[in-house]
Amino acid sequence: MSINWYLAVSATVFCIGAAGVMLKRNPLVILLCLELMLNGANLSLIAFSRMWGNGDGQIFAIIVMVVAACEVTVGLGVIVALHRRRLPIDADELRELQG
Amino acid sequence: MIAAAATSIKAPYIDWAAFSPIVALICGAVIVLLIGLLPGRRVREQIVPGATVLTLLATLGLTIWQWGENTSIISGALAVDRLSLVLNVVFVATGLVTVVMSLRERATVQAGQGEYYTLLLASLAGMAVLVAAQNLVTLFVGIELLSIPLYVLCASELQREKSLEAGLKYLVIGSVGSATLLFGLSFIYGATGSTDFSGIAAALSSKGETIASNPLMLTGLGMAVVGLGFKAAIAPFHQWTPDVYEGAPSPITSFMSVATKAAAFGIFLRFMDVAVIDEALTWQPLLAALAAITIVVGNVGALAQTSVKRILAWSSVAQGGYLLVGIVVSSAAGLEATLYYLVVYVVMNLAAFSVVVARERETTHGDSLSAFAGLGSKRPILAVPMTIAMLSLAGIPATAGFIGKLNLIGASVDGDYAWLGVLIAIGSAISLAYYLRIVAVMWMPDRRGDSPETDRPHGQPEIIGLAIICSAATIFFGIIPSPIYDLVRGAGESIGLL
Amino acid sequence: MLSTYLPALVFVALGAVVGGSFAVLNQVLGPAKSKLVATGDPYECGLPSEVKQGFRFGISFYLIAMLFILFDIEVVFLYPIAVELRAFGTFALLETIVFVVLLMVAFIYVWRRGALEWK
Repeated sequence: MSINWYLAVSATVFCIGAAGVMLKRNPLVILLCLELMLNGANLSLIAFSRMWGNGDGQIFAIIVMVVAACEVTVGLGVIVALHRRRLPIDADELRELQG
Repeated sequence: MIAAAATSIKAPYIDWAAFSPIVALICGAVIVLLIGLLPGRRVREQIVPGATVLTLLATLGLTIWQWGENTSIISGALAVDRLSLVLNVVFVATGLVTVVMSLRERATVQAGQGEYYTLLLASLAGMAVLVAAQNLVTLFVGIELLSIPLYVLCASELQREKSLEAGLKYLVIGSVGSATLLFGLSFIYGATGSTDFSGIAAALSSKGETIASNPLMLTGLGMAVVGLGFKAAIAPFHQWTPDVYEGAPSPITSFMSVATKAAAFGIFLRFMDVAVIDEALTWQPLLAALAAITIVVGNVGALAQTSVKRILAWSSVAQGGYLLVGIVVSSAAGLEATLYYLVVYVVMNLAAFSVVVARERETTHGDSLSAFAGLGSKRPILAVPMTIAMLSLAGIPATAGFIGKLNLIGASVDGDYAWLGVLIAIGSAISLAYYLRIVAVMWMPDRRGDSPETDRPHGQPEIIGLAIICSAATIFFGIIPSPIYDLVRGAGESIGLL
Repeated sequence: MLSTYLPALVFVALGAVVGGSFAVLNQVLGPAKSKLVATGDPYECGLPSEVKQGFRFGISFYLIAMLFILFDIEVVFLYPIAVELRAFGTFALLETIVFVVLLMVAFIYVWRRGALEWK
């Protein structure tokens, strides 16, 4: 099977994630979408690893999995801290800082 | 099968001596975390920062021990050369300054001293890994080890909404940047079949075709630049900067504005000038455009701000634009000019932030411009360092910032990008407007009489000391620039640039 | 031909046996429930089906979930070592020890800070 199909899927997953990060308001959903972006990239890494026949991409993908978990954990931690302060858990209501 | 072919693999030889600065940082982080668990107030307030300082000094010692080394270690994953060693010194110095600034910080109490300093050390370890990375995997690991502790540190003032918000915002935007970078890196790997910088460079030069004819490589490079742009706060990927800088605890803001910037530009230099140097003609116009946008956006954005931390945030965006010019020209002169300006930028920005931190704790006005009103007559010991820092950031002669900008302009003219040099000059002219505004607020007689009361004028000698040391260094390197020249000389050759 | 599928068949059979035996054991050993309560619900486990608006998971849930994600995913680093264990020999063992010691430090930290206590 051609590499293009894998790339198409990985790009789609990445774009769904990117769109979600921009459009969604719930931080938990945003974290999910970040995970999608990273996993989209992971898929293409593994596809390329297969294409080139070396293990570099697979090792890279394993490390990315752990990194993604760390990011989500930190995100959840901050959300819990916000929750403890009884702050709105809604990205649109985080208006204290105005860009 | 992979397993069958692998029986001849030898365990990689690890040059522990060259690897030692990073090992010291990581071991230090673990030890500080465990010390932080011990009970007792003295442990928290004295032993934990003390252990952090010891770790940093050990790292500094090991870095100096390795000075002059030029090797690649751990199967080519990390490079120990002039570029990474100089930046290691910068990181350790910034770390020491941050520890001193954090001594009386509320965030350290609210987040726990052990955790706070462990995260600081972990982030520094990430920076050391990042600037030494010469492999896509180590690049990504470094950038994440740098970022993830910083997300937490931004949110470490748990009782203040803005800090938590800044942490969450930085996390989301930083992760989007990382994911984009990763997607780009995966395409670069796909186009070249290698994760090594040297392997990528070899694949590019042997193919005999330009990147322009290879959509995979072009997309990958574009996305990688965008991802790194997020980390380095290059316009148009800078929008998070003012918000996060304002919300984070001030010592962390100062740490981010100098150390993170130095790390991001360090890897930018190495990646562009080692991995994809053969395609310089393809990416130079792209980076030149980004540099131009960054200089304009950063300087214009700073004009309308009333919070000093936000002004410094926008100014750091603009300074990032100047730094990018040295990368655009992709020559040894450009690399050394960027590195030189990085060192200078770290010194002058730390001077400015020490005063901000001191003032934030002395008055109730926080980091607002009004906290500085009439500072010149009441607290000249703070006003003078701040003035020097502002003049140096603007690039006034006889300050280190002037020499740094001169080098960058010189490198841009030599590299056939003279218009970027002109833009640096124009940007500096615009920047005078907001830097001098801070200076004016401090020294103009206070007509309205609403200048803030100073509650505890002598409560923090260590921060005043920092401000004086950093501003004195700014003047010193403005008059006698040779020590920094000696520091950065040879960085270009060490990574194989002409 | 059939022998190629044998591992898959064994796997399916094992799955069926393990899954089935747990279901049966649960029935035999578990406390006898009043049928009236259980049959009213769509599922016999999990959250109550009528969730009040604004229902939130407790903080402890998130804490444990976070720690679970981390410690769970870290183990993935052992896979590459397992694949190349013979090729690397002692080096792999030392690397694994370093890795496990670092995990232990994290565990000690989490434990001493009281994050494992359900509040």
